[in-house]
Amino acid sequence: CRLNIDGLLVYFPYDYIYPEQYSYMLELKRTLDAKGHGALEMPSGTGKTVSLLSLIVAYQRAFPLEVTKLIYCSRTVPEIEKVVEELRRLIDFYEKETGERSSFLALALSSRKNLCVHPEVSSLRFGKEVDGKCHSLTASYIRAQRHSDSSVQTCRFYEEFDALGRQVPLPAGIYNLDDLKSFGRRRGWCPYYLARYSILHANVVVYSYHYLLDPKIADLVSKELAKKSVVVFDEAHNIDNVCIDSMSVNITRRTLDRTQSNIETLQNTIQRIKDTDASRLQEEYRRLVEGLKEANVARETDVYLSNPVLPDEILQEAVPGSIRSAEHFVGFLKRLLEYLKSRLRVQHVVQESPPQFLKDAFEKVCIDRKPLRFCAERLRSLLRTLEIADIADFSAVTLISNFATLVSTYSKGFTIIIEPFEDRTPSIANPILHFSCMDSSIAIKPVFERFQTVIITSGTLSPLDIYPKILDFRPVTMASFTMTLARACLCPLIVGRGNDQVAISSKFETREDIAVIRNYGNLLLEMSSVVPDGIVAFFTSYQYMENIVASWYEQGILENIQRNKLIFIETQDAAETSMALEKYQEACENGRGAILLSVARGKVSEGIDFVHHFGRAVIMFGVPYVYTQSRLLKARLEYLRDQFQIRENDFLTFDAMRHAAQCVGRVIRGKTDYGLMIFADKRYARADKRGKLPRWIQEHITDSSLNLTIDETVQLSKHFLRDMAQPFKEDQLGLSLLTLDQLQSEEMLKKIAQIAHQI
Amino acid sequence: MFPGRSGLKVTGGWVLMDEEKGEVGNLVWAGTAMATSSEEVLLVVKRVRQKKQDGALYLMAERVAWAPEGKDRFSVSHLYADIRCQKISPDGKSKIQLQLVLHTGETTNFHFTSESSAMKDRDAAKDLLQQLLPKFKRKANKELEEKNRMLQEDPLLFQLYKDLVVSQVISAEEFWANRVSMNSVDHSLTNSKQEVGISAAFLADVRPQTDGCNGLRYNLTSDIIESIFRTYPAVKQKYGENVPHNLTEKEFWTRFFQSHYFHRDRISTGSQDLFAECGKLDEQGLKSMVGQGVRNSMVDLTSLEDKSLDEGYGISSGPSTSSHNKTLKENSNAAIIKRFNHHSAMVLATGLRKQDAQNEQNGETSSTDGNSKDSDFFQPSVKKVKLQEAIEYADLEQENGRKPVALNLKKSDRYSHGPTPVQCQQYATSQDIINSVNCIRHEIADYTPRLTQVLSSSTASTAIAALSPGGVLMQGGTQQAINQMVPNDTQCELKHLYVAAGELLRHFWSCFPVNTPFLEEKVVKMRSNLERFQVTKLCPFQEKMQRQYLSTNLTGHLEEMLQTAYNKFHAWQTRRMLRKT
Repeated sequence: CRLNIDGLLVYFPYDYIYPEQYSYMLELKRTLDAKGHGALEMPSGTGKTVSLLSLIVAYQRAFPLEVTKLIYCSRTVPEIEKVVEELRRLIDFYEKETGERSSFLALALSSRKNLCVHPEVSSLRFGKEVDGKCHSLTASYIRAQRHSDSSVQTCRFYEEFDALGRQVPLPAGIYNLDDLKSFGRRRGWCPYYLARYSILHANVVVYSYHYLLDPKIADLVSKELAKKSVVVFDEAHNIDNVCIDSMSVNITRRTLDRTQSNIETLQNTIQRIKDTDASRLQEEYRRLVEGLKEANVARETDVYLSNPVLPDEILQEAVPGSIRSAEHFVGFLKRLLEYLKSRLRVQHVVQESPPQFLKDAFEKVCIDRKPLRFCAERLRSLLRTLEIADIADFSAVTLISNFATLVSTYSKGFTIIIEPFEDRTPSIANPILHFSCMDSSIAIKPVFERFQTVIITSGTLSPLDIYPKILDFRPVTMASFTMTLARACLCPLIVGRGNDQVAISSKFETREDIAVIRNYGNLLLEMSSVVPDGIVAFFTSYQYMENIVASWYEQGILENIQRNKLIFIETQDAAETSMALEKYQEACENGRGAILLSVARGKVSEGIDFVHHFGRAVIMFGVPYVYTQSRLLKARLEYLRDQFQIRENDFLTFDAMRHAAQCVGRVIRGKTDYGLMIFADKRYARADKRGKLPRWIQEHITDSSLNLTIDETVQLSKHFLRDMAQPFKEDQLGLSLLTLDQLQSEEMLKKIAQIAHQI
Repeated sequence: MFPGRSGLKVTGGWVLMDEEKGEVGNLVWAGTAMATSSEEVLLVVKRVRQKKQDGALYLMAERVAWAPEGKDRFSVSHLYADIRCQKISPDGKSKIQLQLVLHTGETTNFHFTSESSAMKDRDAAKDLLQQLLPKFKRKANKELEEKNRMLQEDPLLFQLYKDLVVSQVISAEEFWANRVSMNSVDHSLTNSKQEVGISAAFLADVRPQTDGCNGLRYNLTSDIIESIFRTYPAVKQKYGENVPHNLTEKEFWTRFFQSHYFHRDRISTGSQDLFAECGKLDEQGLKSMVGQGVRNSMVDLTSLEDKSLDEGYGISSGPSTSSHNKTLKENSNAAIIKRFNHHSAMVLATGLRKQDAQNEQNGETSSTDGNSKDSDFFQPSVKKVKLQEAIEYADLEQENGRKPVALNLKKSDRYSHGPTPVQCQQYATSQDIINSVNCIRHEIADYTPRLTQVLSSSTASTAIAALSPGGVLMQGGTQQAINQMVPNDTQCELKHLYVAAGELLRHFWSCFPVNTPFLEEKVVKMRSNLERFQVTKLCPFQEKMQRQYLSTNLTGHLEEMLQTAYNKFHAWQTRRMLRKT
């Protein structure tokens, strides 16, 4: 239908609309009008994506000069593909309504592994292998070699694309990953480079967070995207961690050993070239004198080893003389390596700031800050000059040089921690140097600065006010939406004690308590006999799950559960877990019913939906706090307290509750879906915890369900499930589902105004 | 007593006879000399007592029998098929006995009295029986169960059974002769549709119990063994390799329960364990399952993230870097988790194996039709369907078009052309049809009503009234009369008579054309059956009718049917006589 959103004509590709979708679009429009940023929390399964797309595409059409591009970032490949499919639906609807072919170009971009069509390269299993192999076929010097020596292998898809692909833009249309591949196959063009080239003039780009947030990648892929773009981060509840991850480096002894051999290879190669083709090194030297600016204008295929955020001023300068010659640079690297080795030979934990580290380095081995800053760039140039084909082998030395650049560039927001051993195994020496980013705003800062509107949205983004703080931005709109429901299809229950009245909790003091473990087991056992089809249970950590599963096994609880349902368990191996997950779905599908034991913060909790019968109940065993003894975490908490005035406990609880909300939110994926959300820890009853759950869940927690026993929980669950199992009557209309006419009524608009809670 | 003895062939020397107690259905040897029996004797055990009489126990190909000392006839004989199970006296007991329990519930005890080798004798007999019984058991059980089930499910059949077999009009064998085979076929069809799955907790049912003296006892039933074999083919293979020549069954299972294979939380220490290989095979199986990857890309966690951080980047150094610094406990915990995943997958697979095989077959047939696509092109479409499912909001759309069920055509040409007619000339050509349509159209066009010859409206309406229910012409229907005149129980009895007569007649008519001696014999017997039926069932009924002064001849049709059969028989017999002379 066609909607009027605050004066904007929006095509919405469905006959009906949820009230919250309308409300969401209103907020979104306001944000776009103000050319500011926004944070919006909208329950999962209420059609958030389609609302976003409908409004922004409509806005783009109405004001083509104000908003030129939509950059939609999502977390996982399936999510990315889903977004593109929703967009396809929308554009199809446009074409049907307007009767003209749209000139809209939208495409998904993903890594080479998902886009490569080269028969040999695409058959490789790991992304890293694909990247490496691709590089060895498409690097500029390889292609140059081919001119003289036709036996050198290159990639015909890239050659074709390079020859023809840039002349004519990609025809208008919606290109998902598979569409790009089949288009590439048809034309004989490389879909990956085609996509990377086409995002510059596409109306909508859908890709993963990393292409904007990871400086190593953002620099090459997203640098030239127009300023007048709208950036959307969907599923953004974890965005701060993504930011931090992309800026942090860990160095182990193994890294250093591999660096050592990397450096040796470099040295030998230099020696060889010196004997045969000394002019090549001289040429490089000359270039470096002229400054990195030119070096940076490399061919797109070479930029595989990009540097971490390089401040612009560096690019203006020339590379310092001390590392300009290849031999000197290798010598410099050697010194750096020796220094790092010495730092790893520690007996006790060391924590220091980057300036302290630099000072120490200067005192001990006379390494200056300036050449360190150029380290990454210098290495890149060297690798190119030496024409090293298999670049994946040099990941260790690249890591070290990236670390060098980062540590010398940022004096604030980072910390260095050197641990001689793991906490759990103090007897085994396994020294690690953590260079850890504590400030998530560093990585995302360029995004906020560059693009006129950035929308941060997710199903669980509570408490909303903390995100602007930790990401350091000023939103013009912040709103949390509730879910209008014709029937209460979610049932959050807080189980506080077992039938023996022993309080159940995963808190540190009682987590080994046999009574707690038994009560957890009884809860799962009871639920397995009541809940149909699938049950998903989440534990606070992998280790905790292992321990509990082992003692359930010893107590025979698991065997009793097996009488009701099959049991599948997440493991640390992704492939194994995928298999378990598929079998779990199979068992739910064929009516046998199954239980999936999983871990909060794990891959399952972050990326897999359990719609309908795949998840009729989710049980959250305990409150998923992070491992608080970790020094990295402590450092970050300290930093947050000092810089952003966020109290440690507030942050820890916020972090635990957002993960709990993520886990329980996995079962509700729409208004026709239904599911139990069982919080098995008495601490959930406290206001400071409960208050941090998303509003759409909080609303359904009644005072009477705050401290239930297992028996009471089972009774309530039975009742709820029986209720829900009745056929869904078509009484949604006018309440949680609106026609166009209903939407226009005065009364309804008033009601809708209450859905959004501005913060 | 149960009609389950259809497999029995009465050969010379064997007779059907009542035992001393007078129970029906036990077979007792009454022949004069054992030599006349053509059966192979597998084992003879002397000094076996039965009912305080010394004698010898004979195990033969199809039966077990016992003859008192000094006599050459068996006084006890049981077909293996009739034996439900054997029981032995516990090891510590002074009397060494073997008990046979029959399906009927009776028991027969044999007491082994040889001083030196009683135990050995008993065990020899037991072991042999153990091998023999299952072979017969299955068949007999299935048949009995099947018949029992049929009778219970079908009250009509049960009534018929009572009417014909219990009242000894025909024998049970005759009754079942063509029923069982017919029914077992369609039963096997339903059987293949759904097989009972395996409980995931089958190993929980063998929880050990302490026997009070430092030992553990596992209760193992054949169901559990079956479950173990189905879930863990590797164990079955081991069983096949080792039992009985290397190990006895008992030893095998003892070792199974002792092995770390059963106790998966124990880490394997040595490889001399019989089941070490099974563990390895399982691990391989798990690996290959994992290696196959998942079909649904939406749950593929390995390719979930678009661009994972390279090694060395990121805040967490990932899962514990190397396995060697894991503690033993952690390893055993991980083993438990692996085991559960594997176990569940295997249990799930036992239920799906059949389906898969069928699907594969279907896939093959469809591929021969040329409908299948290259797997490479096929795969994205699965993904596409999943994607579409994932973005669907059913309630946002108007329910105008429910998805129609797709027509699944195996052979599309047959659908569009229809079956080829067997006899073409029976079908009108399209020209014929056009002609006749034209003809009819013509006639209709030319039709002129002859208004002078129609009925007057009043006559027409009386005629209609007379022909409507309750009208003058509609009275006197016999249907009503029977319903109202005959009491309910008589009606019921009549119904039974019809059914019984129908059954007998069916048997009778199925003998024609009589072209084998067997059928000849049968048709004669069936005729006598019919006569017996008339005398024992029909005539009493008729008399009863007369006593109740029911004038209508209710049994007329039945008699007619019987008469027709007699006539047919008579005709056949005279013809046969003629041919003979």
